[in-house]
Amino acid sequence: MSSLVGFLSLVFAIGINFYLFLSRYIFKFQKQKFNLFIRFSSLLTLLSFFSLMYAYVVSDFSNYNVFQNSHSNKPLIYKISGTWGNHEGSMLLWLCILSIFSFFFSFTKNIEDNFQKLTLIIQAFLHILFGLFIVFTSNPFLVNSILVNEGLGLNPILQDPGLAVHPPILYAGYVGYSIVFSIAIAGLFQNTDDEWLYVAKKWSLISWTFLTGGIALGSYWAYYELGWGGWWFWDPVENISLMPWIAGLALVHSLMMVRGEQAIKKWIVFLSILCFSLSVFGTFLVRSGILTSVHSFAADASRGIFILLIFFIVTGFGFLVFLLKEPKKSNALNLLFINKVSALVINNILMIIATLTILLGTIYPIIIEVLYNKRISVGGPYFNSTVIPIMIPGFLLMSIAPILSWQTNKINNSKKYVLAFIILSVLVILQSYFLDFNTWGFVGLLLGFWIILASIIAIFSSYKIKINIKFFKIINPHVAHIGVGIAIIGITCSSVFQNELDFNLNEGDKFNVNGKTVLFEKIETTDEINFQSLRGKFLFDIEKNQSKEIQAGKNYYPVSKMITSEAGILHQWNKDIYFILGDQKNNEWFVKVLINPFVSFIWLGVIIMMYSGLIAVFRR
Amino acid sequence: MNRIFILTPLIVLLIICIFSLVYLLSGKDPNKPPSALLNKDVPIFESSSLYNEKDIIKTKDIKNKKTLINFFASWCSPCKIEHPLFFEIGKKYPELYLLGFNHKDPTSDAKKYLKDDGNPYDFVGVDSDGLIALEFGVFGLPETYLINEDGKIIYKFMGPITMDILKNEIEPLL
Repeated sequence: MSSLVGFLSLVFAIGINFYLFLSRYIFKFQKQKFNLFIRFSSLLTLLSFFSLMYAYVVSDFSNYNVFQNSHSNKPLIYKISGTWGNHEGSMLLWLCILSIFSFFFSFTKNIEDNFQKLTLIIQAFLHILFGLFIVFTSNPFLVNSILVNEGLGLNPILQDPGLAVHPPILYAGYVGYSIVFSIAIAGLFQNTDDEWLYVAKKWSLISWTFLTGGIALGSYWAYYELGWGGWWFWDPVENISLMPWIAGLALVHSLMMVRGEQAIKKWIVFLSILCFSLSVFGTFLVRSGILTSVHSFAADASRGIFILLIFFIVTGFGFLVFLLKEPKKSNALNLLFINKVSALVINNILMIIATLTILLGTIYPIIIEVLYNKRISVGGPYFNSTVIPIMIPGFLLMSIAPILSWQTNKINNSKKYVLAFIILSVLVILQSYFLDFNTWGFVGLLLGFWIILASIIAIFSSYKIKINIKFFKIINPHVAHIGVGIAIIGITCSSVFQNELDFNLNEGDKFNVNGKTVLFEKIETTDEINFQSLRGKFLFDIEKNQSKEIQAGKNYYPVSKMITSEAGILHQWNKDIYFILGDQKNNEWFVKVLINPFVSFIWLGVIIMMYSGLIAVFRR
Repeated sequence: MNRIFILTPLIVLLIICIFSLVYLLSGKDPNKPPSALLNKDVPIFESSSLYNEKDIIKTKDIKNKKTLINFFASWCSPCKIEHPLFFEIGKKYPELYLLGFNHKDPTSDAKKYLKDDGNPYDFVGVDSDGLIALEFGVFGLPETYLINEDGKIIYKFMGPITMDILKNEIEPLL
């Protein structure tokens, strides 16, 4: 029943969007009526999504999708997250978020009526494309042809609270760029004033903030669930999310140039189209199953071709409009040796090069397999040795970019910065001389601390310190950059200065980690609702009274016959101690302990960046 | 110059789409790595019957006849889905030797499963510790292998077989 409701409301929503799309040519609407229709179709899409969720919650196995991906023993939260833990449901979520963005956009004020209408028509067009894709190739409302009492379960590696919220947030980022795309295309069709640039800026900031959160949640999940001790693996799916993120960052920074009244519209429109194209391309790569990764679902060529077609239409349409309807000439850029505009231009160029480098590495295996029929994989070494060096000049520049002037070459208080840089360099050199020396470690620490230091100097020397909302809005760019600096320190320390210790232990053994004694207390197995767990219990720092307990082990999911590893992590502000329980051999357990310094700085940095993203939405 | 700059994205788009399309149409599936065992000899195995411990089957017993080997278990729901198809295969190709391996299953459960749903196999071998599945390189249940008269693996399928797969992929080889 719920499946029927879901399917019908989905079809009905697509129908309304089709009607609205035609309204540009045939039926003319009043603005009010038009907006009402848009909102109504959004609500229908939402209803469709919630009907599917309802089927999951009540374990309605007469729905084929629920039967394939759920199980009545699962805890409620994973029944709910099961809705988008599979291909069909996640595409419906995609469409649902697209509608939500259209819904909110229809409330935007201070924008010209026709412009808003055109933007929403383009959104309706996207809704139709993806809606048809769902109905024809990935319908989540199919009826189960066999009568069953039990479902086939969900990929147990996905049964995790972090991962339950990761896809919706990530999708909010991806799909949010659809609005930016539509705005940019509408801007090309209607060469009006530059008001739309401000609207685009808001929406691109919102999307970027969601995307940041989604990527961070994903990598935090990989950190504690995959049990490899790392948080970024240059997995194709991670790369796919990183590309629109970097392009989106370039877009946000370009939109900032509007403030200096030197709109480089052409470039902004290009980036807007690029961001959404990369999002759709990412959806294509993941959903077609063309790339292998933990995220892949069953591959199906017809689906792949359909999404490829959508990607081709959307991107081709975007760039074609861009080619035919070039924005009118904007003022020449005021490029000086070092002013704000040139810094932003350099930063944009670097970001685009980085995006293209990642794109090349991600699709290279496909090209090679088509041409030479060989299967290769491009991984960490390529990306680390190409993307990171490209970004370094950008990082150097960003430390001072916010205080550069729009019009002149002059840097205020330049002596302070030079002095600070020299002192910092000496300190970092001393640190690397007396502790570990590592080239990347040296570069990373210097960059990270320099960005933080320069931003703090800028805040204190350029503005009057006041504690009110306006002040926080003014210093926001510096705050964002401090977040980046903190994240760079975290990334550098946790990857370069990671320490690995291996032990073979019996229950009751004591061993030494970082000068602290650890007791391997015992192995415990328990039966949980939908899995069996095996845990090694460790007591950290037993010489103190308040020793901390850490549990590391594995879960076994009988329904899908899968074993997942559950790392035990002791979080401290300056390091994570990461326990992995290996196999038992000759009555001894293999235990791996990783010491990851300053991992928490990565998450702290990301949170600061997201905070700045949100603040910037309200800043004009 | 400016035109070329604006045309670049379209050209890149076209190249990416062409390569992706060729890849998709070539039917390559990264989730199904070509089996290392394809066109190789059947691994050496030895297993006792589910119904009679003294009844043993060995690799040499299936020489000189076409054999379909299917790994199944009572706890595996997709196996239940493909199960009826083996009756049809058995009826249609009486010459074909149907060998089932019961994978990591308590004997009583396996017997009950074959009693309730019927037993389409000519021989049901026990693989209680999963060692035979390991030799065959089984990823997950169910998995089906077709072996020709020379004892070479000529076909492998992961997951439940369907009517389509039976008609289009297995029958042409029989």
